[in-house]
Amino acid sequence: MDLAKQQAAALPKKGLSRSARENLELYAIMFPTVVLIIIFMYVPLYGVLIAFQDYVPGAPFFGTGTAWVGLKHFKAFVSSYYFARIVKNTLVLNLMNLGMGFWVPIAFALLLNELKDTFFKKFVQTASYLPYFISSVVVAGMVLSFTATDGILNRLVMAVGGTAQAWNTKASAFPWIYTLTCVWQSFGWGSILYLSSISSIDPSLYEAADLDGAGRLKKIWYVTLPFMLPLIIIQLIFAIGGLMSIGTEMILLLYNPSTYSTADVIGTYVYREGLLGGKFSSGAASGLFMSAINLALTFGANAISRKFTDYSLW
Amino acid sequence: MPAARKKKFDPAQPFLILFCILICIVTIYPMYYVFIMSISDPVEAAQGNVIFFPKGFYLGSYQTVFRDGKLWRAYANTIFYAASSTVLMLTTTVLMAYPLTRPNLKFRKAVVFFLLVPMYFGGGLIPTFLLVYKLGIYNSIWAMILPSVSIWNIILCRTFFASIPAEVAESATIDGANHFQTLWRIYLPLSKPVLAVIAIYTIVGVWNSWFNAMVYLPNENLHPLQMYLQRILIAQTVDLKKMMTLEEMRDAIKKSLSSLQLKYTMIFFISAPIMMIYPCFQKYFIKGVMLGSLKG
Repeated sequence: MDLAKQQAAALPKKGLSRSARENLELYAIMFPTVVLIIIFMYVPLYGVLIAFQDYVPGAPFFGTGTAWVGLKHFKAFVSSYYFARIVKNTLVLNLMNLGMGFWVPIAFALLLNELKDTFFKKFVQTASYLPYFISSVVVAGMVLSFTATDGILNRLVMAVGGTAQAWNTKASAFPWIYTLTCVWQSFGWGSILYLSSISSIDPSLYEAADLDGAGRLKKIWYVTLPFMLPLIIIQLIFAIGGLMSIGTEMILLLYNPSTYSTADVIGTYVYREGLLGGKFSSGAASGLFMSAINLALTFGANAISRKFTDYSLW
Repeated sequence: MPAARKKKFDPAQPFLILFCILICIVTIYPMYYVFIMSISDPVEAAQGNVIFFPKGFYLGSYQTVFRDGKLWRAYANTIFYAASSTVLMLTTTVLMAYPLTRPNLKFRKAVVFFLLVPMYFGGGLIPTFLLVYKLGIYNSIWAMILPSVSIWNIILCRTFFASIPAEVAESATIDGANHFQTLWRIYLPLSKPVLAVIAIYTIVGVWNSWFNAMVYLPNENLHPLQMYLQRILIAQTVDLKKMMTLEEMRDAIKKSLSSLQLKYTMIFFISAPIMMIYPCFQKYFIKGVMLGSLKG
């Protein structure tokens, strides 16, 4: 802030039109933030170019002296042994997450809306936000210990006659553990927008539906849901746009080498191979591959939504 | 809900309430279980007898956790990162949001475009890592603090600033205030709600973050709380039993205190502050979600 003040004070007082002086001052105020945005958001965007180079650690960031190799790293990634597995896992985990995680907040909002006792409703809402505020590390730590051989999950399994297993190292269990964890963590929080949308519905619509003899479910189906539809579609477009990217941090916490076969996704692969393995160029290429698919998905979902409904992001 | 519906007896209410209680159990029980395990008698805890209520009473695990110097260090680091990131985040946000609300700003479209590009395109992990490395802030506190700028917050703040009547700013200009003074003396005092939203988002975000520390901070002395916890719970590179004094160790062996119980103690101890205060500030979060959805 001091910087902006000094710059503002240092502005020439004479020789400039009033508008130019005002704009100089406004741009001086913006200056510190603009610099940070350029450094931390635009420079990495430019740095993506190393995906098309053979970048060696230690070389200058802006590519001087590093060889351009075109699509070599993309071709290597697509034809690599892990590619099919990574794409499959990324799609399975995210589709499962979308399939379960998307409707739960909507159903929860509809359920809360039917509660009459406002105090109880507030309590349930607050309780449902709790998992959102617990850090991912703690959530993953709890999940891993609950699903361990001596964890509480096995006590439940044995109580219903099953056999105890180390669920946290079982590859076939990973997608379910991951999906349920994500849904658990975010359903309450995800319901906020839906709840606020419901609360803005004109009560007279419900009264009219009452007069027509509509029951609870009919009112939800014919009044509440149509009103929420634009919001639901926009949320769906966002969710589809993030299909390839969400969840890297949670997976990094929950997976281990024995579950890589069902847990390794593009984000974790980039972290392990690209960053820890020091293969910067091929890591950047895999990351770029993921962002490109995401962008295509967002545009695709938006186009489909615009064609078949009246709602779209742009 | 319409008042007319309130008077009728609704036979579905008991079932709805029951269902909601089940949901509450699902969200609350895991942390409750961690808590009752942490204070139960170690033998009972290890045998798995603790399900609904604590069995016995033992605070030895808390004693060990409190004595852990690395924990307090990580705590102090987190508070420092949270405080400095929040100050920087608020500064960068208002400095960008204010000029965007001034009607005389030239090249506004270009500025908006400049802000929108990073919302859709990002460099990704590797280029960002290389940037941090080249800037010379790798393995320093600056890697945690300096990137405190968020397009999302700028838009949030701009939306709020735009709701302040233009006359307020105009009258200040007539009184001879420059833009910086108008921002500082007029806009900021009126914008406390949105500043609170951004501050709380930032604080909770920093409090719960670990990934940046894992990528940028190999120096364990600089690790924040969650990164320290990650080393205990996930990577298992830190053994809490090593923090014990000889006497505690003897006591722990006698009572067969398990590493698991120590981990649960650590989880509860670290999560307790956020769990106690989030019901108070959840309204700011909700406000943030609403303001964000209005941007249109």
